[in-house]
Amino acid sequence: MAFSDGRRRSGRSSVVAVVAAGLALAACAPGGDESSSAPRDDVEVSTELTSDEVTLTIADETGFPLTDELAAEFTRQHPNITFDINRDTFQNLTANAPRLLASDSPPDLIRLPTIGDTARDGLLADLDPYYEAYGWDTWSESQLAPLRMDEDGVRGSGPLYQLGLGYSVTGIFMNLDIAEELGIDGPPETLAELEENLATAQENGVLPIVAGDKDGVVNFVVQAAMNQYADKDEFLSWMFNEPGAAYNTPENVRGAELIREWADAGYFSEDINSLDYFAFVTEFSEGGGLFTFNGNWEAANYQEALGDDVAFFLVPPENEGDGHVAMGAANSFAVAANSPHIDEIAHFLDWVHTDPAARQIVVDVTGASPGGDPSLPLPETEPGSLAESALEMAARISEEDGQVDFMANTTAGIYAGSIIPESQLLVTSQITGQEFADRVQAFYESEVGDR
Amino acid sequence: MITSRTEVVVGRVLLLLALALTLLPLLNMASAALQPAEVNPRGLSWPSDPQWGNFVTAFETGHVWRLMGSSLLIVLGVVPAALLIATLAGYALGSLRVRGGGAVLLFLVLGLTIPFEALIIPLYYQAEALGTLNTRWAVILPLIGLFMPFSVFWMRAHFVNVPPELSEAARVDGAGLWQEFRRIQLPLATPALSALAILLFLWTWNQFLLPVVLIDDPLNRTAAGALTFFQGQYSLSIPLLNAGALIVITPVIIVFLIFQRQFVKALLQGAVKS
Amino acid sequence: MIRAGAHRRAAVRRNTARGWLLLLPALAAYVGFVVWPLGMGIQYSFFDWNGVGPATWVGLDNYASVFGDPELLGSIRNAFVLIVFFTVIPVTVGLVLATLIRSLRSGAFSRASQTILFLPQVIPLAAAGIAWSWMYAQTGAVNEILGRLGLDGLTRPWLADYDTALPAVGLIGSWVLTGLCTVLLLTGIGKIDRSLYEAVRLDGAGWWREFFTITLPGLRQEIAVLVTISIIAALSSFDIIYTSTQGGPGRATLVPGISIYRIGFTQSDVGLASAFGIVLMILVLACVLPIQRLARVRDR
Repeated sequence: MAFSDGRRRSGRSSVVAVVAAGLALAACAPGGDESSSAPRDDVEVSTELTSDEVTLTIADETGFPLTDELAAEFTRQHPNITFDINRDTFQNLTANAPRLLASDSPPDLIRLPTIGDTARDGLLADLDPYYEAYGWDTWSESQLAPLRMDEDGVRGSGPLYQLGLGYSVTGIFMNLDIAEELGIDGPPETLAELEENLATAQENGVLPIVAGDKDGVVNFVVQAAMNQYADKDEFLSWMFNEPGAAYNTPENVRGAELIREWADAGYFSEDINSLDYFAFVTEFSEGGGLFTFNGNWEAANYQEALGDDVAFFLVPPENEGDGHVAMGAANSFAVAANSPHIDEIAHFLDWVHTDPAARQIVVDVTGASPGGDPSLPLPETEPGSLAESALEMAARISEEDGQVDFMANTTAGIYAGSIIPESQLLVTSQITGQEFADRVQAFYESEVGDR
Repeated sequence: MITSRTEVVVGRVLLLLALALTLLPLLNMASAALQPAEVNPRGLSWPSDPQWGNFVTAFETGHVWRLMGSSLLIVLGVVPAALLIATLAGYALGSLRVRGGGAVLLFLVLGLTIPFEALIIPLYYQAEALGTLNTRWAVILPLIGLFMPFSVFWMRAHFVNVPPELSEAARVDGAGLWQEFRRIQLPLATPALSALAILLFLWTWNQFLLPVVLIDDPLNRTAAGALTFFQGQYSLSIPLLNAGALIVITPVIIVFLIFQRQFVKALLQGAVKS
Repeated sequence: MIRAGAHRRAAVRRNTARGWLLLLPALAAYVGFVVWPLGMGIQYSFFDWNGVGPATWVGLDNYASVFGDPELLGSIRNAFVLIVFFTVIPVTVGLVLATLIRSLRSGAFSRASQTILFLPQVIPLAAAGIAWSWMYAQTGAVNEILGRLGLDGLTRPWLADYDTALPAVGLIGSWVLTGLCTVLLLTGIGKIDRSLYEAVRLDGAGWWREFFTITLPGLRQEIAVLVTISIIAALSSFDIIYTSTQGGPGRATLVPGISIYRIGFTQSDVGLASAFGIVLMILVLACVLPIQRLARVRDR
C-alpha cells in the first residue's frame, strides 16, 4: 500500500486512539441489569378468545409445514385471528432464538428446542396460569415435565414454559422388502436380535443402518443404544441439568461402546459424515439399507416412498420383556414474555391439544401424537399404516413410562459444540465409547458448570 | 514474439484443462438440478430425461421473486449511498489532498483487514439497539460502513490521477467547488464509478454472514444469505437445491457477463494501485 | 511568487475545511459501523455475557480460554492450512495460466478464457460450497471421474474423510480464487516492457528463464496484493465451510469463523466469541502487515 512514510506516524496515533477508546468502553458492562422478569402472579388470564382483529406471529423451522396448516384451520374457525409465520433452518433459528425473544417485537410463538437461559433471562411467558385456567392438569405430566424449568435452570419442575405442537416418538424403520430377502421375518424383540439382523445384512452386502451424521442425526442411534442400558431417571436428570448429573455413567459408556462396535463392524456407511439428515432419509426411501433410526415425523414420507414394504417399531430392550425406552419430545414451542397476545396464543395452544380438527391435522401432517388429555379420542389413521404404528408406539411408551428427551436438547450449545463432532469421531471409529462420553461430559460441565 | 510449437501445444492443453475444471462444478450443478426431484442424483451424467420443471418448482416454492426483490432492495440501499459518500471522500483525499488525509487513509485501510467475523457479534447488538434488527437496514447500514475502506481507497486512486491543472483551469473560469466537481470531475470518474458500482453490487448480492445473522426471515435477506433457506427447504431434494442455487446465482453471472470488460479492467487498476 | 504562495496556502486551508466536510459522511459510516462495533467487541471480550442477561467482568479470562482451548487452537491451525489452498495454489496456478494466456494471440479464445476463469469469483461463496459438496459426495462427480480413469482406489467421500476434508474444502477456495489471480497477473504481465522479453529470448532463454528473470520480478506488486487478499480470505473463511462441512468431520475443518458464530450465537457466550474475533483480527493483521512492508521495501 502506498502511504508516504511521513504520514505514517499520525496514522499510527489515530489507531492508538481507537484502541484506547475501545479500552475505555470496555470498563462498563454490556447487557441488561440484574433484575429478572417480574413474577407473573398478578397476570390476568383470559380463556375467552378476543373478537378483535389480531395477527399472531410464529417463528418456526423450515421443512415442517405443521404450523401453516394449524394456522389456516384456526383462522377458518376464528376469522378475526390471522397468522404471520416466519421460517428459517433449524440451525439458524436455534442460534437466533434468544435474541429474537429479547427483541422489541418478538414472535408471539417460537419453535424453541431448548429453554437454555431464556427462561432465567425472563424472555419466556410462564404458562402455568393457563395450565390452571384451561385445566391442563389432565394432560400427561410426563410429557409436560421436560417443558418446565425451575429458577436454577433445572428442567423437570418449575413453571411451564413450552408446549408441544405434537409429541414425537422415535424408533426403527425397517425395509420389509430387504428384510424378506435376508430371511428376517419380523421386528427384533431384543437388542441381541437386532445385532443379529445387522450382522445378517452386513454379510449379505446390504447396508445395515442408513444414517447420516453431517448434522449429528446419528445420535438417534447412539442414544437409542444408551437408552437400553441407562437408568432412565439418571439419564433424564443429566438432560434436565440437575446439579452433579453425569453423562459418562458406565451404562451410557456401554451404549457408546456398542456404537463403536457397530462402527468397527461396518454397520454404517463410509460417507456417513458427509450425509445430512435429508440425504440419509432419501437414501432409506430409495431402499438404501435395512434399518434406519428416526421418528414418527418421517412415517408419512417413508410410507409414500416404500408403500407397504416398511415397518416402524420401538427400539427393542436389552432383555425380552423389559420395558421400552424411546426418545420422544414435544415439538416444543414457547411464548415470548413480551408478546402482547399471550392470551390468544395460549388459546391457540389449548385448541391444538383439544380441537378434533387440530388433533387430526397434527397426526396427518407429522404422524406425531397430538398430546393433550389422554381420554380424548385419538385421531383417525389408516389401518395398518405407519401412522397407526406411530400412535400405538406413543401410547405404549406413555403406558410403560419409557419416554426420555433427546440428549441434543440438554443445553443450547452441546449439540453443535460437542455431540455432533464427537459422534462423528465415534461412528468412524476414531474414538472409543468412553472417550465419547467423557468429552461430552467435559463440554457439559464447561457450559453448565458456572451456574 | 518467438514461441516454440511445443510450448503452444502444452500451453493450450493446460489452459483447456483449467477451463474444464472451472466450469465442471457449475455444469455438475446443472446436471444435478435436472435429475428427477425425489431421488439422490448420481455422478456426472447428463440426465436422459431432463426435468426442466425442477427450476419452475424451485422458483415457485422458493419465492424467488420475493428473494430477488429483497436482494435488490438491499443492493439499492447499499450501492448508491456507498458510491456517493465514497466519491466525496475520494475527491477530498485524492484531488483536494486535505491535510491529515494520509492518516485518514491509513485509518480507513486498516479496516480492509478486519474480518467480518470479528464484527458480527457487536453488529448484532448494535442493530438491536438501533431497532434495525431483522430489517434490511440491519444489513444495509453496516455494509455501507464495511465497504468504505475499499470504496474510498478506490475513488481516491482515481482522483489522484486526475491532473490538477484541470480543476485549476476550472477554478480560474470562476467555477465553484461543486460546479467543478460536477462538470469536470464526475464525468472523468464515470469509469471508476461504474466499476465500483458493479463490485459493490456483487459483494452485496453475495454477502452471506451478515444477512444470515442479522435478518431472521430468509425471504428478507440477500440472495446468497437465502441459500441456507434453500438448503433447509429443499435439502429433501438435492436436485431442487441445485436448481434453487443456480437460479440465485444467475443474476450475478448475467451482470458479470454484460459488464465484464469494464469490470475486470477497473478491478485490476484498483487492485494494483492499492 | 510570494503572493502566489500565500494564495495557494489560503486555497489549501479552504480545501482542507471543505475536504473534511466531504470526508465526513464516509468517516461517519466507517466509524459508526466498523470502528464502533470493533470497540464494542473489545468491550464484550472482557465480560462473561450470554447476550441477554447481566454481564460479569472477567478480565482476560476469555483470551486465556481462546489460547487454552485445543478446539479453538485447532481451528486457527486449520485456517493457516487453508492459506496453502487460498493463497499458494491460486497464485502459483494463476502465474502459470497467465503466462499461458499471454502466449496466445489475443483473440476470442483468450478473452473467453479470462471470462470463464473469472466466473467462480463472481458467484456467492455459499453457492460454491453447495456446488462442491455435491461434487465431493460419495456418488459425486469427483469419484466418478476417478473411477473412469481407473483410479477406483482413490475414491472416497472427500468431505467425510478426516485426511481429505480440509484439503477438499481448501480446493474450493483455490477454485474460487485462481481466476482472480490469473486475470490480475495477466494484466500485470501486460505492463511489463515487451523489449525485456525480446532481449531475453534473443539470449536464447527458454520459457523457464524468461519466467524467472522477467515475469516474476515484474509482478511483485500484483503478487503482494493477491497474497494479501487471499490470506484474509483464508483466515476469515466462513461461507464455504458453513455450506459444505460446518466444521466436520469431527473438527477437521473447523475454522475461526465457524467457531465464533457457534460460540456467540448457539452457545450464547458472547464474551468468548468476541475475544476470539479480536484474536482473529490480530492474526490477520500480523500476517498481512509484513507483506505490505516487504512489498514496499522491495519497491525502493
